[in-house]
Amino acid sequence: MRDRWWRRASVAAMCVAVLAVLTTAVATDLQAHARNRSEHTELTAARSRLAKQRTDLAITTYVKAVTTNHRNGLQASVASTLGQIASTQSSLSGAAVLGYLQSVDIGTLHTCLGGVQQSLQQIGAGDDNAAAQAISAVAGACSTIEGGTGDGLVYPFDFPDPDVITVGSAYYGYATNSVAGNIQIITSTDLTHWTAVGDALPSLPTWATPDETWAPTVMQIGATFVLYYAVRVAGPGGGGAECISVATATQPQGPFADSSTGPVECQPNLGGSIDPSLFTDATGTPYLVWKSNGGGGTSAIWSQQLDAAGTAFAPATTPTQLLVPDQSWEGGVIEAPDMVMVGGRYLLFYSGNSWKTADYAVGVATCVGPVGPCTKLPGPILASDAGMKGPGGESVFVDASGVLWIAFDAWAPDAVGYPNSRSLYLRKLSVSGAVPVVAPGG
Amino acid sequence: MFVVLAAALGYLVGNEVQANTQFDRAHRSLDITRARIDGVDGQLATVRSQLTDLQGQVTQDSATLAADTTKLNGAKVALANSQANNSRQSTVISNLHTCLGGVEEALNALSVGDQSHAVAALDAVAASCESAVASDA
Repeated sequence: MRDRWWRRASVAAMCVAVLAVLTTAVATDLQAHARNRSEHTELTAARSRLAKQRTDLAITTYVKAVTTNHRNGLQASVASTLGQIASTQSSLSGAAVLGYLQSVDIGTLHTCLGGVQQSLQQIGAGDDNAAAQAISAVAGACSTIEGGTGDGLVYPFDFPDPDVITVGSAYYGYATNSVAGNIQIITSTDLTHWTAVGDALPSLPTWATPDETWAPTVMQIGATFVLYYAVRVAGPGGGGAECISVATATQPQGPFADSSTGPVECQPNLGGSIDPSLFTDATGTPYLVWKSNGGGGTSAIWSQQLDAAGTAFAPATTPTQLLVPDQSWEGGVIEAPDMVMVGGRYLLFYSGNSWKTADYAVGVATCVGPVGPCTKLPGPILASDAGMKGPGGESVFVDASGVLWIAFDAWAPDAVGYPNSRSLYLRKLSVSGAVPVVAPGG
Repeated sequence: MFVVLAAALGYLVGNEVQANTQFDRAHRSLDITRARIDGVDGQLATVRSQLTDLQGQVTQDSATLAADTTKLNGAKVALANSQANNSRQSTVISNLHTCLGGVEEALNALSVGDQSHAVAALDAVAASCESAVASDA
């Protein structure tokens, strides 16, 4: 009985133990599975978060790239705009400078035009002196319009066949007739700024044709200023011969008076005489050189001694021919002679070719004496350049300080030929050996 | 009965071992994933910071561009006005030159008594003179 109970008790205990073991194993197993599920759940969540973060990173990186491109584009645009601003402002500065210069030009043009118009009105009113003053007042402005004095331009109005003389510290320029009168006269104290004085020869002799006086030459002989000029003799239809006459004055600005009853020289068989030029040799003896037109032949340059007063040819003298056209550049015409003595040498300047063209130029010959013989130097010594065209009608003079100058007329480069103006130019002259050299413009 | 118990117990132990193995594997994966999350978070923070800087630059550059564009447009307008003025002045200068040439030609014609030529010269430039005066007014 006791064994039976014991056996039953043992079985029961065993069963309880087995049950406990099984229960524990099941519990442990369930716990392990629970931990496992929990870990997997966390892993899944973590992976999901990782995926989301990676997506965010990709999107943000893409946005960054787009923004970077946008920023780079903006910065390029800013740089480009700054470049355009700099370029535009540079253009604006240039335009402003141009505008200012144009304003100055317009002001200068108005000044010049105003003076010229005023001169025209004064001529219409018959007041030639007022016309000359109006022109003088705007000479500087008009010179600026013509390009300034860079090429030697000193008087920008019509001033053909100029003759310049030095009287003390003053200078007087004479030229062919214009609105300012029969013989234009201008004066200067610096050879740069010139003022119109008026008409050096207010009255013409009765035998002369009005508005037909040109190529004056003036020289002081003793206390008298002697003026020779070319003039057309009055004739039927205004077609008389071209001749030379003489007038005198007690002061360089005139008025010169011509009381003659006829011309000094005409050479009618040679087509007339024009372009007189006074000259004194080393002994102070005066001479007149001039041009004969040629008539049916060719033009020529002549010389003849004057009397002591310089108002008539010396008794028992005759004209001597010095030059004829024989060089190709002369085009068959020589005229406007001007003889000077430089360094003990006689130099005879002359103009060649047609005065109406840019081919007009200045040549020179060396002479043994005032009546020759003379030998030409080859080629012209002064011809058209960029600043002026057709120089000629020259006059050589020495200024108050002993410097040699050549005065001449020339056309503006873009206005060659009548009725354009031949303005007054001055350039320094030097003599190298026996060869005169005209300083370049400027 | 013992056999049944042993089998059950063996099954339970095996099942637990398998669960623990899976747990260990998941735990390691979780550690790796968390480390990756930390790395991506760092990158994301850096990129976001850079993006914020870029957006600031874009804002500033946009404002600069707008101001420069306004300045450029103003300069262009000023240039156009200046060029238009210069063109007008060129016309005035051209007319004044033409006018002056005609008046000087008239003066030269009068000097030789050619009044008809003088009148013709003035007539030829009358329009230029009037235009120059009118443009300059």
